[in-house]
This record gives sequence, structure tokens and C-alpha cells, in this order.
Amino acid sequence: MSKFIVIGERISVTAPSINRAFAEKDPEPILARAKQQLEAGAYYLDVNIGPAESNGEELMQWAVKLLQGEFDNVPLALDTANMKAIEAGIAVYNRAKGKPIVNSADASGRIEYVDLAAANDAIVIALCNGDGIAKDNDERMAYCQTLLERGMEHGMEPTDLWFDPLFLVTKGMQDKQMDILECIKMISDMGLNSTGGLSNNSNGMPKHIRPIMDSAMVAMAMMQGLTSAIVNPNDLRLMETIKSCDVIKNNTLYADSYLEL
Amino acid sequence: MALNGIQIFKLTPKKNCKECGCPTCMAFSMKVAQGALELSKCPYMSQEALDSLSEATAPPMKSIKVGAGDNEYTLGGETVLYRHEKTFVSKTRYAVSVCTDMADDAAEAKLAEVSKVDYERIGEQMKVEMVYVNCGSGASADKYVELVKKAAATGRTLVLGVKDVEIAKAALEVCKDGKPVLNGADASNYAEMSKVATDAGVVLGVSGANLDELYDTVAALEKSGNKNLVLDTTGATIKETFANTVEVRRAALKNEDRTFGYPSIVNVSRLARDDRHMAQALASVFTMKYGSIVVLPGMDYADALPLYGLRQNLFTDPQKPMKVAPGVYPLNGADENSIIVTTVDFALTYFVVSGELERSGVPINLVINDAGGLSVLTSWAAGKFSSGSIAKFFKEEVEGKLKCRKMIIPGKVAVLKGDLESKLPGWEIIVAPREAVELVKFFKDMQANGEL
Amino acid sequence: MPFNRKPQKFNASIREVEIGVGEKAIKIGGENVFPFYTFDGDLGNTPKVGVEISDLGLDNPVPGISAYYEGCTTAAEMAKKAAEMEGADFLALSLEGGDPNGANKSVDELIAVVKEVAEAVDLPLVVEGSKNVEKDSELLPKVAEALQGKNVLILSAKEENYKAIGAAAGLAYNQKVGAESAVDINLAKQLNVVTTQLGVKPESIVMNVGTATAGYGYEYVVSTMDRIKAAALSQSDATLQMPIITPVSAETWGVKESISEEADAPEWGSREERAIAMEIETAAADLMAGSNAVILRHPQSVATIAKMIKELA
Repeated sequence: MSKFIVIGERISVTAPSINRAFAEKDPEPILARAKQQLEAGAYYLDVNIGPAESNGEELMQWAVKLLQGEFDNVPLALDTANMKAIEAGIAVYNRAKGKPIVNSADASGRIEYVDLAAANDAIVIALCNGDGIAKDNDERMAYCQTLLERGMEHGMEPTDLWFDPLFLVTKGMQDKQMDILECIKMISDMGLNSTGGLSNNSNGMPKHIRPIMDSAMVAMAMMQGLTSAIVNPNDLRLMETIKSCDVIKNNTLYADSYLEL
Repeated sequence: MALNGIQIFKLTPKKNCKECGCPTCMAFSMKVAQGALELSKCPYMSQEALDSLSEATAPPMKSIKVGAGDNEYTLGGETVLYRHEKTFVSKTRYAVSVCTDMADDAAEAKLAEVSKVDYERIGEQMKVEMVYVNCGSGASADKYVELVKKAAATGRTLVLGVKDVEIAKAALEVCKDGKPVLNGADASNYAEMSKVATDAGVVLGVSGANLDELYDTVAALEKSGNKNLVLDTTGATIKETFANTVEVRRAALKNEDRTFGYPSIVNVSRLARDDRHMAQALASVFTMKYGSIVVLPGMDYADALPLYGLRQNLFTDPQKPMKVAPGVYPLNGADENSIIVTTVDFALTYFVVSGELERSGVPINLVINDAGGLSVLTSWAAGKFSSGSIAKFFKEEVEGKLKCRKMIIPGKVAVLKGDLESKLPGWEIIVAPREAVELVKFFKDMQANGEL
Repeated sequence: MPFNRKPQKFNASIREVEIGVGEKAIKIGGENVFPFYTFDGDLGNTPKVGVEISDLGLDNPVPGISAYYEGCTTAAEMAKKAAEMEGADFLALSLEGGDPNGANKSVDELIAVVKEVAEAVDLPLVVEGSKNVEKDSELLPKVAEALQGKNVLILSAKEENYKAIGAAAGLAYNQKVGAESAVDINLAKQLNVVTTQLGVKPESIVMNVGTATAGYGYEYVVSTMDRIKAAALSQSDATLQMPIITPVSAETWGVKESISEEADAPEWGSREERAIAMEIETAAADLMAGSNAVILRHPQSVATIAKMIKELA
């Protein structure tokens, strides 16, 4: 088994300082956040440049070169609604440390993101989702099948589609949490990879609660076979939990200093 | 080997007809992978898909039996490439090689040598299990059959290295009851050779000029219905042989390519030629890496002691530690009055402790207790190496045999001293150091202080 | 249908470590395939063979070894002779005479031997301590100091003394550090982690993960090395990507098969042949499991193992 893959989520236009940095092409705040995340144990970094309708291609290329140049070809997840921008980003992307991730496709309006990933030998995050949130796991698996078939038709390795069951907010959809965990198990039993925005489960909870809830969720999800997550790697409790679960799952060899690695 | 959902899914019609009772083909595949549904629940599964599936669920490497009676050996049947992943199941078997090109007396001397190595080590009998009888080019059928007869007289299972169909037939006439391996098929003669082997009811050995040719020949043999095979992976060089042997095993176990799912024969004798030390090195290499039958130029105790020890270790099931038989082991010429050291029956403990005791040069009776094959602290914690169990063992098995009443116990169970003294009246209990490496000095000090 | 070869490719490789200086310097490691899997990719540097001599001279030697070193009276003379051995890539000097439970030579006395040997040969040098934890904590930093500029490998830093030895060898005097664990994969990893945390560069660390003689619990050695190479390559575990050195002879020459004289075990035959076979077969197995360097004693073993490596690489 390979190690759980942490995709750092903090380079995103949803953060005002990063939004400003992208707008002004100011490297400093972006590099600072990248460094913090990598030091905390992120393997991939998500680069969310927002819709970027006008200058997306150029902006994504700038971001990819900036981050890979500074951090030894760090692997990246390219995250934008602008498909051309993703393609442009991949054109300048160095694969030495891992394939680029296309973030993201779904089984409905964004299914062409699968084609894009296939054409560029990339990984794609595939949301088990059509129009609106799936009502149950039968529906999720149907979306999963649609996406998988699409990828295979275009010559992708099934393991290059990372299925996202869509983590739901606990406050409001508490009764759906076990469904999500079940869905992860199904994906895992299929021999497929999975990922997702795991901390969505704790959305709206008090700040001091969230790391606790997220840690519990990641432990349970890893038990079910989750292979990756898009999270905040600077959440120490969460990262300690992931590292501990990796040891228990025999994904990494134990050493007394394992938390420091 | 179980298939995962995605492998099953690839075989489904992917039409989501729901006739199997599942909402999607994906859900169906998953249920089959979990064992919750039979594949036959899908009415649209093609015969081709079903065939490939039954092939995929067959064991990745066949178990092949060679030899007869007490000399029957199972080769292959492995499921992992590394022992820590589960365990290796069929140990490497060693053959000594003779050839028609050898002078008669040399061949006879070699055959006489075959039975020399024969000893027990931790419950396992160590000997040369096979004789490889090679037919040199130009040898007549008579000459070969004569040699085969002499080899058969050793009582060992034979491997016949012969490419000529008629000579093979003649040789099998005189030895087929011993279920030898007929190592003679290649791309040029496999159909005839396969018939000879099948008629005689023996395993066929297959070779090829390279892996591609070997692969094609095996595929052709399988198609003709012969799946009772071993693969001779010996190449022109050591490097090529190593590559062949690893690639064949890995193809079967890791890449699920069942055409190569057969045991191997590695002819070290041919690779090392007259270099006996190279043969030792290569015997070790191909015991580690995937030789099922390893053919050697000879076998004496120098060759055997490390090799059989290595094999015994390598093929130990990681779940079941090796045990030595409980009892009294006299070391360095000990007699009934020599001092007694006692410890557990975990093989590693026995070897480490006995090694150090032998190095001390002091005559000692090493008494091995029945501790379930566990190490000192583990067996003590599990109650299998307690003052009660030791006292009982000494009363029943030791007191009648030995006169000495001084017992040295492992330093790690120093706490047992008091209890043992009360349970074994008349005995003096001495505590050894905690680590075996300190034993030599411990005994030297005892000697210096006149305590022995 | 032709055979479909599927080479195992990894995104990681074993680190390359250089020992010695000048023309005779050696590099070990650098491979990104399993041991000798040349059909998968790059073997990096081929495994290297070292010859072991001791500050105590010859102890209970077999005739072949006595004959080889005939006329040598000092460690330096033995070192010179050892360096000429066919197949020798490096020299391993054991300071076993420092053991307080043995000859208990003083640190000064041993440093004199170390200097003398280092002067005498231009082959890369590996210095093995006394095996006594306290003594080595004092002795090995001094060895590292005395051999500044020679880029030697110091064997070894253990859990109990890695701070003193690692800091001196790896930081203060810029030598290579041997991190020793005894067939304990978690400790092997931990030692690499804490040694790098001292500030020692990963490319200055070589692991000695422990060994045994074939037949003596050797399965643990196989599994430890198999798992280390698997973690280093398949899991890209950077804390286990250090090359492995295995002092084979120190183990194999101590078992009864190598010690018993012919008189004690007549059916076993020549003691020398038994001891050579033990050394060769154990070394070959160590190399198969993943050792990047082995330390041997007998000229025949050194020649055979060197030839075997050449044939396989």
C-alpha cells in the first residue's frame, strides 16, 4: 500500500491574501503558503486560481512555473473552471515528482475534464456527482461508473481517476455521514483511488472543534480505504492522525520519530 | 487469487440493465469482488469473459510433484515474491550433476558422493534430493541409459537432461517409475518430447534460447494439454540466468501471467563450470531468488552446511518460529558432571546461546526446555518458561541423566532464581548475564574464580 | 503472443555514498532497482567488496589466510597485503582489541594503529570499532579526527552512542557514518532519522542493518533487507534510502561450522573449506537481499564474491 496523499488546499482565491496575490502576480504570499504546507507534510499542492475567465491560461502558467521552480517540481493539482487554463498549466508542468491533477470533473456538466486529463496523461479528481448532490450510494456509484467508463474509453488507467464521494457537512447532514464512508469503501473495494475535501464535514463548527472532527473523519475514512484528501496540512492534529493511520495501515514503516517526518 | 472490482467491471457489459438485481454494473462488480454475488447472476457475461475470469482466479503458480514414494517433492505453488509477504512453501531442491562426457570412474565417484551428505538440522533431514543426468552431445542411447541406471541406483529422484527424443524414451524405460523430470523440450522438439513425457507419466522440463522462445513453447505445450511442466531458466551467462529466473517468477506472481506459472530448474553446474566456489555463491543466489531445482557440480559438507542452513531459514514460515527439540545437548565434550545451562527452544536463541557456549570452550550441558518455540522473555511472559515448567522438566528429563546440580539460567529471567531453588531442592541456581555475547567472559570469570 | 516484460520502475533510488579519496575512492548505492535487477533499470554502482583485518592480527587463522599474510608483523603490513587482494575494493580495519572485555587496548594505542594503516594504503578505509558501546563512544570520534581528509566510513553509530559518533564523524570531521541496528527495521529507520536530525547529511550515512550467518536466524536478515529496499524504492521512503554495508566475516567466522577443527568433526572435512563456503554463501545471500557492500576475510571469498558481482552486474 502506498502512503496517504495529502493535497494542500491553502493556495486558493477563497483566501483574500491569495486572491490579491494572483491578481497582482505577487509571488510572496503564494510561496509563503506553499512552503508552510510542504513543511507540514503536503505532497501535492492545489492551485485554485478561481474562474479566471480572461487571463486564466497565462495566470496558471505563471503559478505552475513559480511553484515548481521554487520547490523542486512540487506536484500540483490545477483547480479552475477554465479548462484552457488547466491545459496551459500542464503544458509547462514538470512531471518529475508526479503527474498533474486536474481538479475536477463530475458526471454531468464537467465530464469533459476527464477527456482533458486523458489527453494530457494527467490524474483527474472525479466527483461522484451529477446535477446536484447524489441522493444515495446507488446514485453515487452510477456516477462513478459513468466517469470510469469515460476515462477508460479515452485510454486512462482506472487508478488515474481519483473519485471524490463528496464529503457533506455534518451540521445539517449528520445522517448522511455513514453513507459517504460506505461509498469510500465501495470505491476502495473496486481497487480505485479516492480523495475529497474532507474538512467540509466540519464546516460551520467552532474553530477549536474542527481539527478534532476532521481527525476523526480522516481516521474513519482511511479505515474505509480513502487514499488521498484535499485538506489544510497546517492542521497539526489532522496531520498527526494521518501519519498515525499510515503507520497502522502499514503504508509507512514505523520509527519513533515518525511524526517528525 | 481474488479479482478486484475493477477487473470484474472490465468484463461486464456495462449496460446497467439491473437484471442481476444491482442498480449498476459497477455495483454488481463490487458485490462479486466482495463474494456477495456470483458472477453467473449477470446474464450478459460472455463465455470469453467467464473463461478469463476462471483463469484469473486459478493459483498464479502451479504445484508440480516430482519423484515417487519417500522421494516425492512438491515444487512451486508459491504465492509471494518475498517471504515477509506471507511465506514460501516449496523449498529449493538440490541436484548433483553427472554427464555422459565424464569418465566412467569420475561419474561413479560423483554418484557415490551423493549419499555422503546426510544429516539432521532442527528436525529436517538434509541431503541431496536429486541427480541430474546429462546426455552429452553425441552420446549413444546405450551409454546414457547405463548412466541413468547408475544414477537411479542412488535412490534419488532423477532429472534427465536429454534433448534427443529416442534416447529420452529409452532412458525413461528404465527409470520412469521413480517419476523423474524429463528436462528435454525446446522449440524444436516440444511436441514429440511432450508425448514421451506424457506417455511415461512424468514432468516435462522446457527450455528456450531466450524468454520469448520459452514463453511461446510453454504456451504451445499448454495448448496441447500438457500443464505438467518445469521451466529450465538457465541461460548462456550467469547474468542472463538470473534475469530469466527472476522474470519468470515475477511474471507469474506479480503480473499474473500464468504461462510462466511453473517451477524452475537452474543449472548452476553449467554456469560455474569448474569453479567450485562460484558454484557455492550461485547456489546461494538461486536459493534466494527463485530456483525450484538447483543443479550443482557436487555436494560435500563444506557446500552443504551453509546452503541447507540458508534454505531452512528462508523457507521458515514467518508465522511459525523454528523450534529445536527439548532435551540435553552436551557441548565441548561435556559429561554428566559438567555444569548445566538452560534456556528455551526458540531456534534462534538456541543457536546464539550454543554458539557462545561453544566459543567458551568450557564443557557444558545445554538443557533446552519446551517453551513453545518462543524467546526467553516472550515465553516467560506467556507462562511457558516458568519456575514450575523448568522444575518439572528437570525432574523428569534431567535429574536422572546428569549428576551436576548447578544450573545457569538466562539473565532475563533472574526473577526465577528464588522459586527454582525452592522447587528444586539440592540445586544451585546461578544467573547468567542478560545478553548471550557476554557468556564467554562470564565463563572465563567463573573459570578464573574456580567456580566450575 | 510474445512474453510481455513488465520492468519495475521506481520514482526513487538508493542514495549514492562515496568513501575514500583519490583514484581508488568508491561509490556505493545509486540504484533504482532491486538488487541485481539489471533487466529493470540502472544498478547504479555495483556492490563493493572489502577485506577485513584486525588490530589484533590473525586470530586462529586457517592455513590460506596465514599463508597470505606470511611475514607481516604489523597492522600496516597486513593492510598493504590486504589491499593487493584480488577483488578488494576497500579495506576494513577492525579495532576489536579495544574491547574492555578483551585485550582492552587504550584509545591512544588504537589511534596509532589506525594512522599507521591509513598511511600504508590508498584503498578506501572502513574502520570498525570495538563493539563496546562506551568504548566506541570515545574511540570512534578520535578515529574520525585522526583520519580527517580521508573520507572514511566509521562503523558504527548505534542507538546508544549515535550522538557522539554521528556528530564527530558526520559533522565535525566530515567522514561517513555507519548507522548500526540489529535486524530491527524500525530502529534502522529511526537511527537514520535522528542522525540526519543531528545535521548529518543523508548522503553521508551508510546503514549496517545487522546480519547473521546462513542458518542462524538468517530469515530475519532477509526480511529486514527486503523490506528496507521495498520501502526505499516502492514507498519512496527517503529515510531508508541509504546504502547498506554488511560485515559478513565477523559473523561467519564465529560459528561452529567455521571453527571446528577437522579432528573434532572428521566427516565435515577441511575447516578452511567450510569457513570459506560459510563466508561466500552468506555474502552472496546478503548481496541478493540488498547489501551494497560486504566485508570478508578469506582471499578466496573476496575473489569469488567480486567475480560473482561482476558476472551479475
